[in-house]
Amino acid sequence: MQAITTFFWEHPLTVITFSPLLGALILLFLNKRDVSLIKSLAFIVSLIDFFLSLHLYFYFQSDTYEMQFLEKIPWIPDWGISYQVGIDGISLFLVLLTTFLTPLAILSSWTAITKKIKEYMVFMLLLETGMLGVFIALDLFLFYVFWEAMLIPMYFLIGIWGGARRIYAAIKFFVYTMAGSLLMLVGILVLYYLNYQTTGEYTFDLLELMKTIPPPAIQTWLFLAFAISFAIKVPMFPFHTWLPDAHVEAPTAGSVILAGILLKMGTYGFLRFCLPLFPDATIEFIPLISILAIVGIIYGALVSMVQQDVKSLVAYSSVSHLGFVMLGIFALNTQGLEGGILQMINHGLSTGALFLIVGMLYERRHTRMIDDFGGLSRQMPIFATFFMLVTLSSIGLPGLNGFVGEFLVLVGTFQANKLYATFAATGIILAAVYMLWMYQRVMFGQITKPENQRLVDLNLREVIILVPITLFIIWIGVYPKPLFQKMERSVQHLISQVNRPRIIKVEREVFLVSGPNKMVYWTNVPRIKE
Amino acid sequence: MHQIFFWGFALLAVFSALMVITRRNVVHSALFLISTFFWVAAIYILLEAELLAAIQILVYAGAIMVLIVFTILLIHVEETKIINPWQRQRPIAILLGVFLLGEIFLILSRALFPESIAGTALQQVAQEGNTEAVGKLLYTKYLFPFEVASILLLAAMIGAIVMAKREIEK
Amino acid sequence: MINLSLLTPEIIVLITALIVLILDLLPWRGRKVLLATVGVLGTVGALLITMGQWDLREEAFYGMVAIDNFSVYFKALFLIICTLTILLSINYITRGGIDLGEYYSLVLLATFGYMFMASGTDLITIFLALEILSLAVYILAGFMRHSPKSNESAFKYFLLGAFSSAFLLYGIANIYGVVGNTNLKDIAQYLSQEAALKNPLFLAGMGLLLVGFGFKVAIVPFHMWTPDVYEGSPTTVTAFMAVGTKAASFAAFLRVFFYTLEPLKGQWVPVLWLLAAVTIIFGNTVAIYQKNIKRMLAYSAIAHAGYILVAMVAGNDLGSSSILYYLLVYSLMNLGAFGVVIIVEKKEEENLTISDYRGLAYKHPMLSAAMSLFLLSLAGIPPTGGFVGKFYIFSAAVSGGYVGLAIIGVLGSAIALYYYLRIIVYMYMYDPEKEFLDGPVPFFSAAALVITAIGTILLGITPARILELAHYSISYLGH
Repeated sequence: MQAITTFFWEHPLTVITFSPLLGALILLFLNKRDVSLIKSLAFIVSLIDFFLSLHLYFYFQSDTYEMQFLEKIPWIPDWGISYQVGIDGISLFLVLLTTFLTPLAILSSWTAITKKIKEYMVFMLLLETGMLGVFIALDLFLFYVFWEAMLIPMYFLIGIWGGARRIYAAIKFFVYTMAGSLLMLVGILVLYYLNYQTTGEYTFDLLELMKTIPPPAIQTWLFLAFAISFAIKVPMFPFHTWLPDAHVEAPTAGSVILAGILLKMGTYGFLRFCLPLFPDATIEFIPLISILAIVGIIYGALVSMVQQDVKSLVAYSSVSHLGFVMLGIFALNTQGLEGGILQMINHGLSTGALFLIVGMLYERRHTRMIDDFGGLSRQMPIFATFFMLVTLSSIGLPGLNGFVGEFLVLVGTFQANKLYATFAATGIILAAVYMLWMYQRVMFGQITKPENQRLVDLNLREVIILVPITLFIIWIGVYPKPLFQKMERSVQHLISQVNRPRIIKVEREVFLVSGPNKMVYWTNVPRIKE
Repeated sequence: MHQIFFWGFALLAVFSALMVITRRNVVHSALFLISTFFWVAAIYILLEAELLAAIQILVYAGAIMVLIVFTILLIHVEETKIINPWQRQRPIAILLGVFLLGEIFLILSRALFPESIAGTALQQVAQEGNTEAVGKLLYTKYLFPFEVASILLLAAMIGAIVMAKREIEK
Repeated sequence: MINLSLLTPEIIVLITALIVLILDLLPWRGRKVLLATVGVLGTVGALLITMGQWDLREEAFYGMVAIDNFSVYFKALFLIICTLTILLSINYITRGGIDLGEYYSLVLLATFGYMFMASGTDLITIFLALEILSLAVYILAGFMRHSPKSNESAFKYFLLGAFSSAFLLYGIANIYGVVGNTNLKDIAQYLSQEAALKNPLFLAGMGLLLVGFGFKVAIVPFHMWTPDVYEGSPTTVTAFMAVGTKAASFAAFLRVFFYTLEPLKGQWVPVLWLLAAVTIIFGNTVAIYQKNIKRMLAYSAIAHAGYILVAMVAGNDLGSSSILYYLLVYSLMNLGAFGVVIIVEKKEEENLTISDYRGLAYKHPMLSAAMSLFLLSLAGIPPTGGFVGKFYIFSAAVSGGYVGLAIIGVLGSAIALYYYLRIIVYMYMYDPEKEFLDGPVPFFSAAALVITAIGTILLGITPARILELAHYSISYLGH
């Protein structure tokens, strides 16, 4: 016991990341008929993982931007690949979000999943390991391994336990995201060799790679290679087409994870890789990405408005919300970035909750069409309360979490570009329209369908699922300061990385570089043949 | 003198080869094939490779041709009709063939051959004569391929047995 | 100068092949399993001795064969392939009614040929080795009597194989005409002269060699025999040649082009660039449309040859060692995938279309899990060996400055994903309609699957040691 505790204190991230994997392995050896044992074990494993991850929150030091809980073990030394993990103020909350949502997602599938429960739980736990790995990896190779490996369980979750068009959705999801990430693989390799040419050292260590900046012309290409992969994951307009299919067809827990965590990998990728590695290209691409983000915000909102299916409405609203996140990130100032990061968490909570709620409705009525409902608030008052709260959080009502994030994003964007902010603000209004309209059609009015007369309100398990989320929704809305405190240093460091010394002129194969201290930064021009 | 003989043999060899592929009667084709082998052997003699010429006649004109004739007899090939499903390919084939021929001429006309024969097998031939040189090389330098060739034959034999066996076991 | 003892592993394989032939004469019903056991023991013994030859760096038979790390690595690979093939065959050939003792004997003889493909340092040796293995495999391809497809496959393979051998031989003749020697070392020495590099006859010879090897490793446009032959042959033979023949041909291809013809890089690299690009795109695209799983795996094998060509184009040390690593991974995952096909296949070509795999996961979860692992590895998804292999290859391409080719490669992998996933879709996402196997999964086949699965995973998670081996194997080549 002593040894385990010591190990945890020394390698908290490894333990947190791989304990779901361990749980999955144990599940494999259980008899598939012991359904309740399997379900409970999966839930307990993920719950324990959540409590373990709280350790990160309490022992996180807010006064430094350095990576914390750092672990580094050589993996393939010849290539400079190591198992290196660590978190800063940006990834901390995403790790927590992951460990928080997974047990809830498992709990939500208690009765919804009826076939192949053992495999389902195994994939859920594998997925958790994969997602956590993405957020903690500080080695590009390791990151890429988790980034792709995580697709496999998600693919199975959608493909086996999804809705009617599940196979189409699963393949589309997989091929789409994979195609993007393969380009990133080439980008990673180019970056690796560029770094070798400048420093003479083979390494995939992100912290080392950040120290050298590729020449601007190459940066543009590298940025694109990374950005397309991340943009597909976010998803940014026009790469969003896989999202509605995947969301609508996925089982409830799958949607929760997909919306709550997977999409954040894209935005996280921008924060962790694109911005610090390719600062010049980042600035170059601000207009393009901001405009795409705004198009996404408005397009997502408009399309949500006309959806008949509650689930696809929520799915399209994600496109809109993630547009805000991207806009905030590319404002490249403290408010925008902090708002963007917070909004990532908010979206995870509120959209996750919305999918859970839709799932609860679906379990009762086996339909998700808005027209099939109406007047539910009388039959299900507890449900109505939770639904209202989450809806308002998603709209961004002051006092709830959504408001803080969106407000900061808009403030940040306003400072960067007033026009962008103006357009983005319309998105908030549209969000209020489609969400409230949907809520009104589903919950208020007369009960028109006889089936709806017999609906029962939430049971204890469902309340237990929703209560923690709503607590966080309110907490962040009222008192977000601890969150900002923890992310502040990292965000400031990120901004300074983007604004670091830049190449100013090229003179006979030698880049002269000016920085705050007028240093010559780069003397040898790495070239790419062909 | 040498030149005249060479061109004579070469033309005859090419002529016979053309006859092999244009005759309708398979037996005729086979006979022309033998004649081709003979003319090629004659060219070997011109090149002072008398052992090679002898082998050419013994193995190809002798053993292999006997096999071919046996096969023809065994499977009762009638005078074949001209079955050519690829009629349309003929012009393209001719064009490509001419092109290839031109290429070979071009390559050969520009090829550089070794100026000295020192260190090559040719040197040995020049010193000791054909048959001795081949024999020596086969049992020294080329001993390994020589031995391995027997395993090739073994594999072929096993193959033949398998092919024959299938009929019996049916 | 003869050093017969250096060839102990090869001789063991040969003697095992003969012993198997003799033991087949025993009047005992259970003798087939005995034959297989003897075969496995022989190859494993040879494998152990081969491993002992690591770092030996010797030559035998007047420079005809070399026992360097390169050949040791490959020989070990071939012996592993041979062992796994025998394990997979035991049950299959009994079911298929083709359990002649000659089967194992021919597999061993082909392996004997493979081994000299890797260690031959003279064009004559390489040619003879190629003929031995080809002849053995031609016959194996036609082993399924009564099956017109198997006969067709053998015949097609024989005709086109002979054709490609002729190319190779003509190429060797051209080179001999110019150099006056067939030894790789002497050819390399000849190429050290400036004038030699521009000799058209030599270049023509090189081109013909390229075509000859291209046929054997099945790259576009020399691939046309592959789908029919792979489809028609007994599945165990398909697996054996998709993996073994390809790896063996690449071994000789590498030695000749990387070591001997290295000075002519400027001439052959652009050609291989083009061939690699075409092979990857064509192989992957056509594989999508296949309904028969063996044909699909055939096209996938073509595409994989394309990836290996990418590494050849890259040309650096990294590229060549990545080929060695990739061939090992490729052999394991492909044998694994074929292994599942072999187990599921029934008589009369039943269970061979992709839609036959409908619902396999519900009846045989372990088998489907293994198949998914192999397919995901073939697709290059972490944490499998296939991913590390592809990563290595593309990394070599980028370091050689061939970013364009690397991009074509990854796009090809993205296409490939689709057809590999389709099988997983059928296995997991549809309900079963029938029973798949007549009995439990046969023991020996299961053992082969376990070995390949463990290998595929380990090569993905802890590749460092094998990467090092691959690196050392190539770095002694010709130095």
